[in-house]
Amino acid sequence: MFTVARYVLKQRIAGRTRYPLVLMLEPLFRCNLACTGCGKIQYPTALLKKHLSVADCLAASDECGAPVVSIAGGEPLLHPQIAEIARGLVARGRFIYLCTNALLLEDKLDQFEPDSHLSFSIHMDGPRVEHDHSVCRAGVYDTAIAAIRAAVGRGFRVTTNTTLFDGANPDRMRRFFDDMMALGIEGMMVSPGYSYRKAPDQDHFLRREQSHRLFSRMLESPARRWRFNQSPLFLQFLMGQREFDCTPWGNPTYNIFGWQRPCYLLQDGYARTFRELMDRTEWSRYGHASGNPRCRDCMVHCGFEPSAINASFGSLRGMGETALALVRERR
Amino acid sequence: MTGPDEREPIPGDLRALIDRAFDYRGYVTLARRDGGPVVGFVYDRGPEHVELFDEAARRRVRLAIDQITGVEFTGEDSAARAQQIWERRRGGLEPPDAQRGAWGEWGEPATGDRRSTRPVLILVALPAELRSVAGVLRARPDGGTARGRLGATGAVALAVGVGGGAARVVEAERPGLVISCGFAGALEPSLAPGDLVLASSVRDEAGESIAASEPVLRAARRVLDAGDRACLAEGELLCTTEVVATAAAKRALIRPGRLAVDLESAPAAHAARRAGIAWLALRVVLDPLDADLPAFAQVVRGSYLAPALRHALRGPRAAAELAELARRVRTASRSLARALARLGAVVGGLIDAERAP
Repeated sequence: MFTVARYVLKQRIAGRTRYPLVLMLEPLFRCNLACTGCGKIQYPTALLKKHLSVADCLAASDECGAPVVSIAGGEPLLHPQIAEIARGLVARGRFIYLCTNALLLEDKLDQFEPDSHLSFSIHMDGPRVEHDHSVCRAGVYDTAIAAIRAAVGRGFRVTTNTTLFDGANPDRMRRFFDDMMALGIEGMMVSPGYSYRKAPDQDHFLRREQSHRLFSRMLESPARRWRFNQSPLFLQFLMGQREFDCTPWGNPTYNIFGWQRPCYLLQDGYARTFRELMDRTEWSRYGHASGNPRCRDCMVHCGFEPSAINASFGSLRGMGETALALVRERR
Repeated sequence: MTGPDEREPIPGDLRALIDRAFDYRGYVTLARRDGGPVVGFVYDRGPEHVELFDEAARRRVRLAIDQITGVEFTGEDSAARAQQIWERRRGGLEPPDAQRGAWGEWGEPATGDRRSTRPVLILVALPAELRSVAGVLRARPDGGTARGRLGATGAVALAVGVGGGAARVVEAERPGLVISCGFAGALEPSLAPGDLVLASSVRDEAGESIAASEPVLRAARRVLDAGDRACLAEGELLCTTEVVATAAAKRALIRPGRLAVDLESAPAAHAARRAGIAWLALRVVLDPLDADLPAFAQVVRGSYLAPALRHALRGPRAAAELAELARRVRTASRSLARALARLGAVVGGLIDAERAP
């Protein structure tokens, strides 16, 4: 938190209006699951077999300069040099969230060293039935729980990331949050799923009003032990208590094609350099206020967490509201 | 020279096709004003250009839109396929034991980079073709298979029969490169027995055309075109499901740019493409355009020995016909063997062309 705050203030003092907060690094698109709501992995086999080299990943981080790197995909643990990538990024002082479905985590733990800059962010879409349904495979929840226990037991930082779709039961999700915290994880991330047009299931994406209702019921009177690894203002946004517009440049995405325009979720083409992405993307075409239909129902953290963080650290009032929200969350 | 202001405007329907290609999660074939078709995955487009990865996902290609004359959606749409699979099993889960380990369909790499040890798979139809290939691999055919080395690379040659078996074999052998080779009938009057045909694309009877990867073609062309007495021609290969045996039947199939007809290359190319593996179709001309095959050779058979002997016993003309065919088979087999031996020098690089950087 302190590093991000210092980074944001530095950008503000330098007069930068658009700057990255989290690099979304997708070193590969291949995955060992085919989840119902995922539109990231539908490519011809030759492209799925391709991956970024260690040097590509480190160069992208250097080029972008964001203090946090979220390694997504595809399943990053399928990358043959994933530990080397993580080590290289940690050596550069980046905070790494290695997003994984955890199917390979226990086997691969030996390749990593616990570090305050490295967190495994485990994909958990709810209790056993909901999660296995979401990833279309029985037994994945249990495998992930075993991997979380193993990683926590060996001193790694572990968080969870949960994507929600229409039909999620708020009461069951509250019990799920209890279960996750009981495992000893550091925090949780929640977000509605983005309505990828390429995802297998097109029927269960949440509309904005549905997201407000679901998150309000799920997050009202949060249990004291819950810890969300997210801005409290973003959680208020999910509950419909606060309005933000998207900050699509906040989480720039780099993958085998280049720098993805405009954001992690939409693919309107690719820039060859990070500078080209920032300078030559028509940002006014994106976000809720733009009227772009593809942004209409989007409330995903990769676009709105940066907005919430900018609001938190952008003014004294924002800082005060964030502090107040944190106190309320933990009361 | 045409300046930017003098360019013809890009028609709206072409622009719409390019937008669709950009949105498409499969390979497309772009026809160009100058030069051959380009096959690849379109991942970027602007007012003046498109960018794509070639089929091996190794080379980026940037094309000016005003050079594109047409777009064909020649590859499978991966997103549509995922949606169909999901629809079929709606609500049903894969059981845990359906996993091939936690690595899913990708399989666990052994040690280091296992792809460097993947063999080249050489697919032929007939045992006679396999014998000439086995000689190059310094291997002895055993039950329709010959395992040896092509250059410094491990190689497996299989006689899969006419038209079939390629998909199963590609799945079983997990090769780094598929070469479909063997005899073909000429559809171009200048091609003689023993001449080589390197397929820039193969077209099946349904009209679907698969273009070969340009880096693979370029490397093959470089070694095949180097001072052999056989002519090397590059163009379209037509793949039929029945033997095209008479001059009249062959003439009916002539199209601009089409060089030869065979029975096996399209299934091999389809199988390789589905598996994301680079492929090459190299054929050698057995029967020229104006030659008829003897009647016994017009039917697909496991062995031609007994029918050939029976044919020879029909009289002096039939015997002469058989002798002429035997001469062509020898010429074609030797030419094919020489060509394969030359490919051995670059085949490791062709496998590398498939590898992720």
